[in-house]
Amino acid sequence: MVEHDAVAVPGATRPEVRAQEHGTGKAAGSWTRPTANWARAFSLREMGVYYALILLIDILALVTLHLGHPNYFSILNITNVMYQASLTAIMAVAMTVILISGNFDLSVASVAALAAAVLTGYADQIGFMPAALLAMTIACLAGLLNGSIVQLLGINAFIVTLGTLTAIRGIVLIFTDGHSLSVQNPGVLDAMAAFESGRVNVVLPLVVIGLALLASAVWSIRQARAAGDAAVTPRSVGAIVAALCVLAVVIATRGVVPIPKPVLYMLGFTALIWFTLTYTIVGRRLYAVGGNPEAARLSGINVVRYKLLAFVLSSGAAGFAGILFASRLHSINPAGLQGAELTVIAAAILGGTALYGGAGSVIKTLAGALLLYSLTNGFNILNLGANYQGLIEGIVVVTAAAIYTVGGQRKTA
Amino acid sequence: MTEQDDRPVAASETLLRLEGIAKTFPNGTVALRSIDLTVERGRVHGLLGANGAGKSTLIKIISGAIPPSGGDMIWKGRPTRWQSPRAANDGGVATIHQHIPLVPDLSVIENVFLGAHGVWRRDPSAHRRFDALCARVGYQIDPDSRLGDLSIGARQMVAILQALGTGADLIIMDEPTASLATDERELVYAVVRRLSQVEHKAILFVSHFLDEIVTLTDCVTVIRDGTQVMHAETDDIDEDRIAKAIVGKEVAALTRLQPASVDMDGNVDVHAKPVLELRDLCSPGRLAPVSLRIAAGEVIGIAGLLGSGRSELLHAVFGADAAATGEVLVNGRRIGRGTAAAVRAGIALVPEDRMQQGLVPGFEIWRNTTLPALRGVSRGTFMPDANRERMRGWNAVQRLSIKAASPDALVTELSGGNAQKVTIAKWLFSDVRVFLLDEPTAGIDIGAKTDILRLVRQLAADGNAVIIVSSEFEELLAVATRLIVMRDGRCVAEHPAGNVSEHELLLLAGGRDTAAAGVAAHSHRHAAGTTGQ
Repeated sequence: MVEHDAVAVPGATRPEVRAQEHGTGKAAGSWTRPTANWARAFSLREMGVYYALILLIDILALVTLHLGHPNYFSILNITNVMYQASLTAIMAVAMTVILISGNFDLSVASVAALAAAVLTGYADQIGFMPAALLAMTIACLAGLLNGSIVQLLGINAFIVTLGTLTAIRGIVLIFTDGHSLSVQNPGVLDAMAAFESGRVNVVLPLVVIGLALLASAVWSIRQARAAGDAAVTPRSVGAIVAALCVLAVVIATRGVVPIPKPVLYMLGFTALIWFTLTYTIVGRRLYAVGGNPEAARLSGINVVRYKLLAFVLSSGAAGFAGILFASRLHSINPAGLQGAELTVIAAAILGGTALYGGAGSVIKTLAGALLLYSLTNGFNILNLGANYQGLIEGIVVVTAAAIYTVGGQRKTA
Repeated sequence: MTEQDDRPVAASETLLRLEGIAKTFPNGTVALRSIDLTVERGRVHGLLGANGAGKSTLIKIISGAIPPSGGDMIWKGRPTRWQSPRAANDGGVATIHQHIPLVPDLSVIENVFLGAHGVWRRDPSAHRRFDALCARVGYQIDPDSRLGDLSIGARQMVAILQALGTGADLIIMDEPTASLATDERELVYAVVRRLSQVEHKAILFVSHFLDEIVTLTDCVTVIRDGTQVMHAETDDIDEDRIAKAIVGKEVAALTRLQPASVDMDGNVDVHAKPVLELRDLCSPGRLAPVSLRIAAGEVIGIAGLLGSGRSELLHAVFGADAAATGEVLVNGRRIGRGTAAAVRAGIALVPEDRMQQGLVPGFEIWRNTTLPALRGVSRGTFMPDANRERMRGWNAVQRLSIKAASPDALVTELSGGNAQKVTIAKWLFSDVRVFLLDEPTAGIDIGAKTDILRLVRQLAADGNAVIIVSSEFEELLAVATRLIVMRDGRCVAEHPAGNVSEHELLLLAGGRDTAAAGVAAHSHRHAAGTTGQ
């Protein structure tokens, strides 16, 4: 279908006019762009998860300093927290996508365990890569199954995935016969180590990212100034702050930034999904499908396909997390990862993802996952014991949801 | 105000008086500047205004949903300010909202007494009270049927019963007939008359239909931009004056649009290759087989009542009905099933329910406008460019005179007519050849209505094929080149536009035989009054 901006309606603004409107900014007939709403951009609702994360890390840093523990801000400690968060974060990012599409997936932890079991069960015979591919295939098929039941039979996703949560865990039990499986073959162990363990110095990419962020902020400010709009927007400020942070890390570590591989996978996956959601047609349509499926369908969008895609992505990410998990432990306990789905969903909720679809951000979900694991990390540092952990985490999740809900109500009266 | 009322008003006792009511929202929007309004017992008070004039705000204030920011409200002689809708309800104000807030899974009787105090779900006296209510309004309905199974008209009646069940003195009806078919409207009119004349209730009746305002109300208040611009006894005025007061300028009324056939007949060559062709398109249980050829420049008007299969036909053409069979051809090429294939082939659907089916609520005007044709505003073929999208959104705002400060306005913040224009604007920026418009003018003010009908004419003149469905048959006569009447899922008649009158269309669509024609036609538009007497 050919598309064009000009339309054969009288009084139409012809495309040529656009250049003029654009160039002179406030030309007659141009709208006044709303001045960037700073209060809203930095409100608790928009930025709350970042504030909470910064606040928590600062408190932990001060307390560790006071107690005379090693520096909390050391690259080792920070990357350790990220390492612990990586599996959950990968699943939570995909969970955010499925929540945006207007569905729900409770089965991720079971799918991850199944993928881990398949990998450990077959790697000795067929090698690491084939077994990992097999595990990924099976995980994606589980997502396809979930999605097909939900979309084609029209059963609520909560109920379907509650069922597959139990059933797939049952398959894990059958597959492992209730015992732990472990990998023996030294070749496979090496491959697993190469895949999961070890750190990569990312100083060069960091420098590149920092400079790119700075350049994009400067470019957007110049663009806005040329168009006569408010030059400094919350977005450009955010880009500059992020760039300075990245470059500060590079300087503070004297150019040695060793990052565990799972953290790299997590960051890469998040960046890919973020780019897709923010900048591509697929992302826009996904938000439309979650925001109003009927309107999306009547706009010519294949709603079923997008919703299925989200299910497959969710299970695929779970499968990948399961492979990382098995590679880390070289074995799988049939009860492994049990209950992890709740942490995954909690991370998405902390990130402000709407449970009814159409809204959410994977970057905030990532921050949500880091927040949850920083809490865990803090309990360990402070020797508070695991008893209080559940209580505090629960309070944090409900408080976050309350802030989003109350802060999200636009003032109409 | 002249008191030349010839209706049997027993006591024209003032029930509610508003003096200088104003409302400014916290975000600075001035919804009401100063409203004076007097509502009397036993009279039907019409309240009119364009979309966004402040009607809804005024109703919310009277019914206690929001507080006014200035002015006085005198209820039964005492200055009052409701603390909550519940307080207003207890005080004697009942509101029937446009979107009926009833519970679909409860029975009729449970919905009627939804707000009642008490502990037990089954109250033996409820059935007695329910029967008494039905007797009062002269309407019978099974109290135990599930609400979700009822037609929209019957739900509207349940909402009226609910309002009466609270023993209210003032009943506010916010566009109670907007989504009703003709016979269902008559029912509402009869109840309104009965309530005002027999029970001396005061009724505040909000409507966009000028004819029903003229036949039904005793006096009329028109508001525009938050100010009262007209108050008159209905007997002293006519539709034309009301329309002028609503719009505030000489209206380009519907009648000004010459019947399409006058200037179209010469241009349309019905033997030319059709833009859209339907071959035995049907959907089991919903639509009997339809075959149709539509040439470039033709506007097909579908006249049919609610449930006649008119929306089902459009959905089948658009591929939105998975059960439909038969062939749809655009420019001679057969298209596959499914909405994506239809959009690719250049078919556009403007659905009946703009908020539920047409717009994504969390999206701004620009993101809604570009949704079906994102490629045209993308870098490469997959990355939408927000600046170009905003520019397209702004083009839409200007071209269709959408009332919005910028394309960044959320569609949920727009009034009905402006939201409707966005659902149409979505399709103006790509190679659409076939426009399917399902009730594009429902529930919107006369200015927006005229804009949309003009656009329909223009789309046809540009060589597109248009199918338009409307409950307002005079609109169809104003824009269509050919009229098809639908009833019970089948096309029952086809006429060139010049050959048929509104009255005949009504008879065909309503399925009445010609013997009853005179009476039926008489009672439809202008003499709804006969039913209540």
